Amino acid sequence: MTYILQRIAFSLLSLFVLVLISFLLSHIVPGDPAYVAAGPNAGAEKIAEIRAEMGLDKPVATQFFIYLGDVLRGDFGTSWFTHQPILQDIAQELPPSLELVLVAMVINLVVSLPVGLLTARFNGSRFDDLVRLVSIAGAGLPIFWTAILLQQKVAADWKLFPVAGRLSFEHRRFEGQTGFTLLDSLMQGRLDVFFDALAHLMLPAFALALLFTAVGVRITRTSMISEFKKDYVTLARAKGASEGRVMFRHVFPNGATPALTVFGMQFGWMLGTTVLVEEIFGRPGIGRYAVKAVTQSDIHGVVAVVFVVGLFFLVANLVVDLLLYAINPRKHLEG
Amino acid sequence: MKSTLDLLTGTAIGAIALAGLTALPAMAEPQGVLVIAENETPENLDPANATNSTVDQLLLGVYDTLVQFTAGDVEVTPRIADSWEISDDGQTYTFTLKQGVTFHDGSALTAEDVVFSLERLVAANAGVMNNMGTYSGAEAVDDYTVALTLDAPFGPFLSALARIYIVSKDAVEPHMGDDNARQWLAVNEAGSGPYTVTDYAPTEAVTLEAFPDYWGGWDGNHVAEVIFRYVSEPSTQLALLEAGEVHIAPDITVEDKLALQGRDGYIVDIGSAATPLYFYMNTASEGPMGDPAFREMIAQTFDRQLHLDQVLMGFGTLPDGPLPVGWMGHAAGTELPFDLDAARAMVEENGWAGTELLVRYLPDIQEEQAAVEQLQSNLGQIGITLTAEGMTWPAQAATTGSVETTADLNMLYSFPNFPDPHAVLNGNFNGALTGAKGGLNWAQYENPEVDALLNAAASSADPAERAALYAQVQELVGADHVAITVSLPGSVVALSDSVEGYVYNVAHHQTFNYMDIGLK
Repeated sequence: MTYILQRIAFSLLSLFVLVLISFLLSHIVPGDPAYVAAGPNAGAEKIAEIRAEMGLDKPVATQFFIYLGDVLRGDFGTSWFTHQPILQDIAQELPPSLELVLVAMVINLVVSLPVGLLTARFNGSRFDDLVRLVSIAGAGLPIFWTAILLQQKVAADWKLFPVAGRLSFEHRRFEGQTGFTLLDSLMQGRLDVFFDALAHLMLPAFALALLFTAVGVRITRTSMISEFKKDYVTLARAKGASEGRVMFRHVFPNGATPALTVFGMQFGWMLGTTVLVEEIFGRPGIGRYAVKAVTQSDIHGVVAVVFVVGLFFLVANLVVDLLLYAINPRKHLEG
Repeated sequence: MKSTLDLLTGTAIGAIALAGLTALPAMAEPQGVLVIAENETPENLDPANATNSTVDQLLLGVYDTLVQFTAGDVEVTPRIADSWEISDDGQTYTFTLKQGVTFHDGSALTAEDVVFSLERLVAANAGVMNNMGTYSGAEAVDDYTVALTLDAPFGPFLSALARIYIVSKDAVEPHMGDDNARQWLAVNEAGSGPYTVTDYAPTEAVTLEAFPDYWGGWDGNHVAEVIFRYVSEPSTQLALLEAGEVHIAPDITVEDKLALQGRDGYIVDIGSAATPLYFYMNTASEGPMGDPAFREMIAQTFDRQLHLDQVLMGFGTLPDGPLPVGWMGHAAGTELPFDLDAARAMVEENGWAGTELLVRYLPDIQEEQAAVEQLQSNLGQIGITLTAEGMTWPAQAATTGSVETTADLNMLYSFPNFPDPHAVLNGNFNGALTGAKGGLNWAQYENPEVDALLNAAASSADPAERAALYAQVQELVGADHVAITVSLPGSVVALSDSVEGYVYNVAHHQTFNYMDIGLK
């Protein structure tokens, strides 16, 4: 129990530091939001007036404590450019990004775990070499490049998947309650919309997943190899357990644990990376929102996005830690 | 190639035609769905923000204005103002409004709405009011007469009014709150234009639908629905155009536009060039740039023709001064032509070799990147090192906030909000609008003679007199070597050949009137 509380307290502290750093960074980075908000040729007087309206005339420390107070009350402020409450903006942009990350994560796990296990089992074989080659290449490919390539070949030339967007033209009026199109369409029993949304997700999710999967395969392989060398595997084999039983009942559950920590972190990383595929596949989402906020010096918008991505990163890690603790409490008591 | 979109719009046409049979068979009905790709997502829908072309593009067909520039034209014509009178002192403009103009909320547009719209923009510190010169206030004389007053005569006043969108007082007043309805109008509309906004998802798409009670009627070929799809990647825009999923793709690469020119099924439209790109020289600099002779040397180091041929692939006009060629008051040849040998001679004569200069620009913009590379290479050949610093727009703007932080050279486009020399020359060269004073005169150029000419031209209503004054401004600015006008890029847009009635709106930079477009 103490362990769980410690982990939660640590996560909260991390969030505070994250907000502090991103707030300070946005203020240090050159750029004057008041100048942008005032429009072209506003003149010094009007800019000063708008700067005061935005609260930017106060010292940075004062601004930070005012902001922190607001955030603690759950108020992330109003965007200087969309003029909407930032939480509302983010609530709208987050579901499409999360949906993309979840599908990419599924691809990642479905490939990484079995391939990692098999390459560990056949460590040093031709198959292992081939997978190593592909993963190293995969890990080296820039996401935006993979995305453009997939779009131009698989979608535009071969017409196997849609080129861009979230839904097809004929489903443009589909409205969901949660913003997660896959979930919404299932809830409404609209299988046509569900498969359409899924088809639109495949290439972006694959492009996003590729790099992470390459890393995932390698990590899984490494942790599995060390399991295969352990005494209990030799014992199981000596007792006549089938190779399948050794792999799936003994090695896999134990070997997957360290990999799980990495997958937890990958979830957060992916959410911070969605912008690359969102821009190319013309999908709405938190990444596009963040880019717009950065290019306009919409400081509160930027800090809020960093906060939310950070929050998901920490929550994913916390969940993984708690899972590992549930699987094997002793490990942590020793540490 | 028969595309999905063609099939879909085909069925939409069918459905609407059927509906038309039962409703009003005699009237022309808007039909089909027009899909437009756009690389930049809109900040909001607020008319206060109409200086921004992405926002302005949406608002053009949603709101009405007192006066307008019809697409392709540079003369102001009536819109909801039937006629107007200008007082002898040039300080009162009295407009007679059309009757029978209905807002999307059902209320009638009257003088009260015009007054309310202007007062809200002033209270909200709206960027679009920066264009309005000496405007001081508005008054409703009666239901259909409105008087606007100025503190001093302002020549381009009517032109500036073409971006003042009229909102419905009935619809907006309940949402004024303490932010002058900025939050509400950012995602809602209160216009009387031909289209209403039915869905606003700024990172994905904005959907507009034809307003059946539009005062202008629906004669001719128009579309029932307009969708702006926000697609930032040029290659994605091209793929969508080729897949038939969008009809208009403005932001594909120049190379792809060239390739599409010869292909069946596509039109490449070249709009007139009125958004000049400049290198501004920091004329107030303590360093070498502060020396007019040094600037004279720099002014001869950029090859505009090469840029037009190799970077713009010929889509544009060759500039010879800061004002778009063909505009009222344009003076020819006020900037020195490219002559690297003359520049080299000056460098040798004055011992300037080894000088180090800094240029700031927006690397996201292909054209700026290419121009910086050319200048770097040319200056390198004559012994001057040019360091390039790529930035975001707010960051670059912030560096011009004082003379000391302003780079030797800054790249900047001029996006005139209306086709009048004032919109280009005043912002660029008036000493009252230097970067240090919160303006776009990033050359930090202060010349009292130029200021006096600009102010005289702004307060005159006589076009011939104004043209002569602006010509003098260009001569003086040219002699002081304030800027290098890099290019006058044309607005090149790729269209599906099913689009009918596309015309670039030169008076609203980077926009076109989707309300005038129909599908074949």
